[in-house]
Amino acid sequence: MVLVLIPSLLAREAGGQGRFELEAATAREALQQLPVRDLLFDERGELRPLVNVYVDRTQVDDLETPLQAGTEIRLVAAVAGG
Amino acid sequence: MGAAVLVGTRKGLFVLTSDETRREWAVEGPHLTGWEVFHAMRDPRTGSLHAATNNWVYGATAHRSSDLGETWERSEGIGLPEESELTWEKSWHVEPGHPDEPETLFLGGTPGALFRSGDGGSTWEPVQSVIEHPTREKWNPGAGGLCCHSIQVDPSDPQRLYIAISAAGAFRSEDGGETWEPKNSGVAADFFPDNPFPEVGQCVHKLLLHPERPERLWQQNHCGVYRSDDRGDSWERLEGNGLPSGFGFPIALDPADPDAAYVVPEEGAENRVTPDGRLGIYRTRDGGASWELLTDGLPQQAWASVMREGMSFDRLDPAGVYLGTQSGSVFVSPDGGGSWVEAARFLPTILSVEACEWSSS
Repeated sequence: MVLVLIPSLLAREAGGQGRFELEAATAREALQQLPVRDLLFDERGELRPLVNVYVDRTQVDDLETPLQAGTEIRLVAAVAGG
Repeated sequence: MGAAVLVGTRKGLFVLTSDETRREWAVEGPHLTGWEVFHAMRDPRTGSLHAATNNWVYGATAHRSSDLGETWERSEGIGLPEESELTWEKSWHVEPGHPDEPETLFLGGTPGALFRSGDGGSTWEPVQSVIEHPTREKWNPGAGGLCCHSIQVDPSDPQRLYIAISAAGAFRSEDGGETWEPKNSGVAADFFPDNPFPEVGQCVHKLLLHPERPERLWQQNHCGVYRSDDRGDSWERLEGNGLPSGFGFPIALDPADPDAAYVVPEEGAENRVTPDGRLGIYRTRDGGASWELLTDGLPQQAWASVMREGMSFDRLDPAGVYLGTQSGSVFVSPDGGGSWVEAARFLPTILSVEACEWSSS
């Protein structure tokens, strides 16, 4: 079981839920189970460039890295916009 | 039954409501916080609200509400086919389909793409014929990207559709979107000095069809204001005779008067503010032969700009005209342009206004 924490805008889009406990072997597998997966990945399955993924407080680029049980995944929007 | 205007902004959707006098307005919102609302409308067939929504991190999508904005559902999985090598970048405009097809809607946006929904906006399928249009290689993005911003359905024939893309031009379909023919004859592309009247590549800023005389189209273009009386087969340039400039973005039509149109000229492409240091709206009542400046109630010291979706018209009597500025003011004329009130100010940058009927019952 891993824990996924998502920002407030995504939580609103997920019906008010900001924490998800999931069974997942990789970060990609975890994120693809979220009800907001279409906001994280484009139609080619590419992670949107301004979505940053932290696994146990370390930013990861490789979403295929195996996860340990109890891992926390946190999604953070890159500093952007105005 | 009251009046309402949906105001799409860079920071969510606002709803302004009033009674039929349209002199005093209440501001509700924002809805859809965190989303840039490029356009929102109330579908007159179902009463649902639909919004073309974008976020700089989470991409482009569409939202709908069947309870006047209390709750919203997001359309999922809007995307372009892999073989197109295109990805969906921005949602620009959402348009109801024909009254006989109440579950059909259209969504246009960047990169020059059109989607159709057959289930009231839950899911969207790309219109393949636009993606694969044989002239696509001649299309060029304007400053806002290669955006499909205008979608019009002929009320007399559900098979006849129009779209306009900046900068690709206007296109007409006679077969429900299976095929599209460029409709840019007589429309200038002055930014191509070697070929100022090409088949495609025109920078349409907004295209509208007159609902009571659907063979009549109007467009505000990068290079002038135009009218067509033959479904876009030919266009007449209408600037001069009172218009200070042919450059501008929005255009609004009076649904009760096919000869009436409203534009907000800007100085030009190089200085995109209203001319003469004031906010001036220009009205024609003779099909574009002459234009008069409307100023009563509008700021006489202003360097305003109004985006392509920034004007609207209601169906009350007398007709109301609506205008939203990039500086966050909404102006309303409850008498067809004769006088104006500022219905709201200091909203976020306004991207769209759309008048609609409103009832909470």
